[in-house]
Amino acid sequence: MDLQIKILVVDDFATMRKVIRNLLKQVGYENIVEAEDGVTALRTLKSQKIDLIISDWNMPNMTGLELLKAVRADEEIKTTPFLMVTAEALQDNVITAVKAGVSNYIVKPFTAEVLNEKIKKIIEKLG
Amino acid sequence: MNDSALTKSINDLASDLVFLDAREIDIPSSGKFMNRLEAIVKTAEPLNMNAVIHVAAGLNHILEKIIFDNLQDRELGFSTFEKGIALMQEINDNCGQTGNCSGDIQPFLDAVASVTGVVVSADPARVSDAPEAAQASEEAVQIQDVSLVKDFISEGLEYIDEIEVNILNLEQNPDNIETINTIFRPFHSIKGVASFLNLEKIRDLAHNLENLLDKARNMELHITPPLIDVVLDGADALKAMILQLKDQIENQPVKPLNIDLRVLAQRILSAEKSEKELPPNRKLGEILVGDGLVTQDDVNLAVKAAQVPPQKKIGEVLIEEGKVTPRQVSQALRKQTEQATDASTLRVDVHKLDDLIDMVGELVITQSMIQEDLSKQINADKNLMRDIALFFRITSSLQRTSMSLRMIPIRQTFQRMSRLIRDLAKNAGKAVIVEMHGEETEIDRNMVDEIYNPLVHMVRNSVDHGLETPEERINTGKPEKGLIILRAYHRGGNIVIEISDDGRGLNKQKIIDKAMKKGLISNTENLSDQDAFKMILLPGLSTAEKVTDVSGRGVGMDVVKQAVEKMRGKIEIDSTQGKGTTFSTSFPLTLAIIDGMMVKVGQEIYVIPTMAIRQALRPAKEHHNLVVNKGETIHVMGQLLPLVRLYDLFGIEPVKRDPGEAIVVVVEGENRAKCLLVDEIIGKAEVVIKSLGAGLKHIKGVSGGAILGDGRIGLILDPEGIFELSEGKT
Repeated sequence: MDLQIKILVVDDFATMRKVIRNLLKQVGYENIVEAEDGVTALRTLKSQKIDLIISDWNMPNMTGLELLKAVRADEEIKTTPFLMVTAEALQDNVITAVKAGVSNYIVKPFTAEVLNEKIKKIIEKLG
Repeated sequence: MNDSALTKSINDLASDLVFLDAREIDIPSSGKFMNRLEAIVKTAEPLNMNAVIHVAAGLNHILEKIIFDNLQDRELGFSTFEKGIALMQEINDNCGQTGNCSGDIQPFLDAVASVTGVVVSADPARVSDAPEAAQASEEAVQIQDVSLVKDFISEGLEYIDEIEVNILNLEQNPDNIETINTIFRPFHSIKGVASFLNLEKIRDLAHNLENLLDKARNMELHITPPLIDVVLDGADALKAMILQLKDQIENQPVKPLNIDLRVLAQRILSAEKSEKELPPNRKLGEILVGDGLVTQDDVNLAVKAAQVPPQKKIGEVLIEEGKVTPRQVSQALRKQTEQATDASTLRVDVHKLDDLIDMVGELVITQSMIQEDLSKQINADKNLMRDIALFFRITSSLQRTSMSLRMIPIRQTFQRMSRLIRDLAKNAGKAVIVEMHGEETEIDRNMVDEIYNPLVHMVRNSVDHGLETPEERINTGKPEKGLIILRAYHRGGNIVIEISDDGRGLNKQKIIDKAMKKGLISNTENLSDQDAFKMILLPGLSTAEKVTDVSGRGVGMDVVKQAVEKMRGKIEIDSTQGKGTTFSTSFPLTLAIIDGMMVKVGQEIYVIPTMAIRQALRPAKEHHNLVVNKGETIHVMGQLLPLVRLYDLFGIEPVKRDPGEAIVVVVEGENRAKCLLVDEIIGKAEVVIKSLGAGLKHIKGVSGGAILGDGRIGLILDPEGIFELSEGKT
């Protein structure tokens, strides 16, 4: 299990980013960068190698779904794994995200263990 | 028949399945399959290949189960999925070979049902109640650390402030989804973090508010004032709870929460259930039907008739058919525009508006300075001149637009007055009906307060002296209830406000007698009705026989006249004995700008309000006379008008003293006209009125100052004051 992967956490709510960062640290991931919205996230993705995106669904300017679509449409970064954080798994939202190519989704609130499981699933696939 | 596009789509789906790494469908591959299925359905729909569409729907159900991790037997799910794809290929092949495009799909659909559990979960809550959520609440306590909670408090409070600001925008702009979103989002974020921090009460409340706004966002609910109240109260409660949390963390005494959260939750729930109100923009037909004036059938017929050439409007068709009166249609149209304006208004601080209008005023002045400077240059660039002319047009329309921002309908003033009339009538033991016309007429907001007092006084006069008692009215054959009509309309650059009553009217003889007694007039020759009525506006002339509770306490109509004139307004009185009285006041639409004529006397420039100017002329020598007892006069259009030499009044050295060489401006005052002698007329200008300041407030003959095009100050003349100066009154 590679704990060195670089994870980009995208959420407009700073406290939420900190919550996710804390959870990630609990299960051993230390290499974390943050972005406060989709636009900043895209800039980060272009400037450094990111191994996993964990993004909130509901954000101003650019929603998580829009960010996902932008990532999948960009040749350079289209394969970056994308974990979508949703509030309550509204079926339609999740299915929309799945169709848009999300790697997995996670429902708020979640524990470090659940988060870890989802990350492992995604990373195993990459081999 | 075999559709190649469909065959290709189905084959793509099948090969995706074959190339799947393991016999397990994960989320990314579900997404891929779903997109494939969507493409298949899209191609199959126009071909009416219902069997394929049903199978695709079954496959979609399985994928959904996989995505939401609700599949009991994954292996069975996978094999059913495989079978479904094979079935789809079979149907498509048969269709191509035999033309039979249906297939036996029932066994497959049954298999899907048994794998997914008969009904595909229609209840999204099921997913959120998944075991992982339950685990979370136990675990959440562990991740609670103080710094995180502190962050949450400060960020949460910030978010709530943001909500409060945005909610006020929402009230003005209830249909703007983006505005709803800006309120929805902070609640959503607060809820998210609160759920991690195990702050259940905050989470639940934020969750409820979020749900409510989500419905509004999806147009399931209409934003109404009660809904906004609930959201505001909810935001307050959240704030209070977060502040409690803050006290707790800082080891301060925790203030008790003065809000019953259960009541609030109930209110949110009932707001959620309230039906969506009428859509904000109703069609004319809907309004007419809603008012019970026509039936839906009538409207439908009219809509059809209106489309047949020559094209007409629905309202016209309905009127022609005699279904409605033109008045009803116009009322409905007014309702329609009211809706439209309601939906697109914005609340702005008046001070900001005043600043804006002031700045635009300055811009107009600067602009005319530039124009003036430029016109002095003989070799001025043609292009520059043209650009400046364009600039001039833009600034003046900018000025008009910015002025219009401050215009508000007179409705509110009328409503206040109508309430007052009822109260007054009750006190006086009179019955009265108030009618309002033209409430939508607009007036500068800054004038509303100014005109209120004089209007109130006139209304008092009407109720108190105008209207008879019910007995008197019945005796004279009038309806028991008196009628007072408030009417407003625009005329030229003025707003006219009329107060009419159907009372006893003014007694001309009584007014004349009283005026004679007071020595205000000496003879009644050539005294028109209007002139006689206007005398009630003179100080000390009250025709009321007794002082009553409401009016006639020494402050008579003369005060009204002064107040109206202070605003450059005028009063007209019309009355028929026994029939009623109408007070008609007209005010300029705004106090900020005046249309003026610039005149030059010596080195000084003065501005005469255009409204007061009747004409300007250079009199022939024989028209200039010295009349005994009247002084110098000018013969103007059959009238002898006194000549006022402005340079004498202001003590300046003129260029021209002979009226035959100079210019005479005929100016109207309150009830008389005089000729002002000036050196020359410079031109017309709209000027922004500047007060001369407290120290120079009471200079007679001058009502203010204006900055002129060349940057100099021009004094704005007050005709009535000039006349009084010339008559030696001080």
